[in-house]
Amino acid sequence: MNQPAGEGRMRLTVVGGYLGSGKTTWLRHQLFERRFGRVQVLVNEAAETPVDDALLGQAEGLRVLSGGCVCCTARSELIAALRDLCDARSARDSRGARDEQIVLETSGLADPAPIVEAIRADPMLVYHIVVSEVVVIVDALHALAQLRSEPLGRKQIETADRLVLTKVDVADPGKLGRLIATLRQLNPAAPISAAVLGSPIDLPAVDPDAMPEPLPDLAGADMAPVFPARLMLGDDIDWTAFAVWLSALLHARGDDVLRVKGVVRTPAGRLLLQAVRRVVQSPEILPEQGPEGGREDGTIVVIGRGYEAADLSTSLRRFTRADG
Amino acid sequence: MCSICGFPASPGHWTEAGGNTAPDRLRARFRRGQVLKSVLRSYGITAHDGGVIPGIQLATFSGAQVIVPDLEAVWPEAERLAGVVIDPLDPRFTRPESEGV
Repeated sequence: MNQPAGEGRMRLTVVGGYLGSGKTTWLRHQLFERRFGRVQVLVNEAAETPVDDALLGQAEGLRVLSGGCVCCTARSELIAALRDLCDARSARDSRGARDEQIVLETSGLADPAPIVEAIRADPMLVYHIVVSEVVVIVDALHALAQLRSEPLGRKQIETADRLVLTKVDVADPGKLGRLIATLRQLNPAAPISAAVLGSPIDLPAVDPDAMPEPLPDLAGADMAPVFPARLMLGDDIDWTAFAVWLSALLHARGDDVLRVKGVVRTPAGRLLLQAVRRVVQSPEILPEQGPEGGREDGTIVVIGRGYEAADLSTSLRRFTRADG
Repeated sequence: MCSICGFPASPGHWTEAGGNTAPDRLRARFRRGQVLKSVLRSYGITAHDGGVIPGIQLATFSGAQVIVPDLEAVWPEAERLAGVVIDPLDPRFTRPESEGV
């Protein structure tokens, strides 16, 4: 019998990376090119609002685990979802086409190590699933700043089997050289590749003698916890006032607001809004959905620290009610 | 781009993504001016976008004036004119509305 690698077990690829590093964009392109073959995709969102499922449509199956991070609070939900996938696969005839691959896209706040440990420690999953690779996506624009201040960013890099640098086309070559040297220092074993909007490109030529960024010891640092907040904008959102408010927020609190994402209704259609720290991606117009679709339109997730969630909505309301 | 003043230098800012048609875009500019005017008033700054001259005009009550290309440029300029940090999570925007701005 022709057994795939992993003695008939399903292979699991964990896709990790910090908030807004480009995990979904990268995964979307891999699925589009069918790099994983027949694949079941699990997406974890730290917030209760799934946004990423709107982007991933090329898999055999897609399940969103929202309402907690699977490396800590929602770990049992992940184990249950993986067991379901194993059951469904075992119920099919092994001579036919079966799903041999699972991709887990973690939330930007997840440390991949406890996830991998939880799967290896589960008495059932260990016979059905082999963790084949941990791919960590690294944002070439923001990673140096994150590595300086975020212990989690460092843990993610250290856990990776493979690192994929994104946004290299817009990154400064000097900084890119420092980042690559820093990544090699943190995780010398992981090969580093580059991608732009998910398509692989050659790693740009950088100074081979670039020094790694000195990383301060964060062991005793007192950092406020990062938390997701949901802003319910509704269907009749005043997009212009919202844009004024968000631009002011990112200007003033760009170091605290780590990630903003959501779908907003505007006169031009449904806009997918995404921001990482102070950088707002050019909004993408999404196709209209049927009556049952678009259920999360008008909800914006703001992930960050150092403020009260209630203050966000009060302040936004003040801006949208402004009448000159 | 205007061939005389070279403005705007770059294609639309993300905050201008919501309008596809010229009337939508003009309406959005008026609304943007209105919101900015209301928000910046408490900092002693007036904002104006009449839809004719490109850019957003900021002025202080003492007469200093500046024109900025988009919303992203408004905040650092307004902070410079006002001499204080402008933060939408400042108590003036987050306390109950009955207490006023």
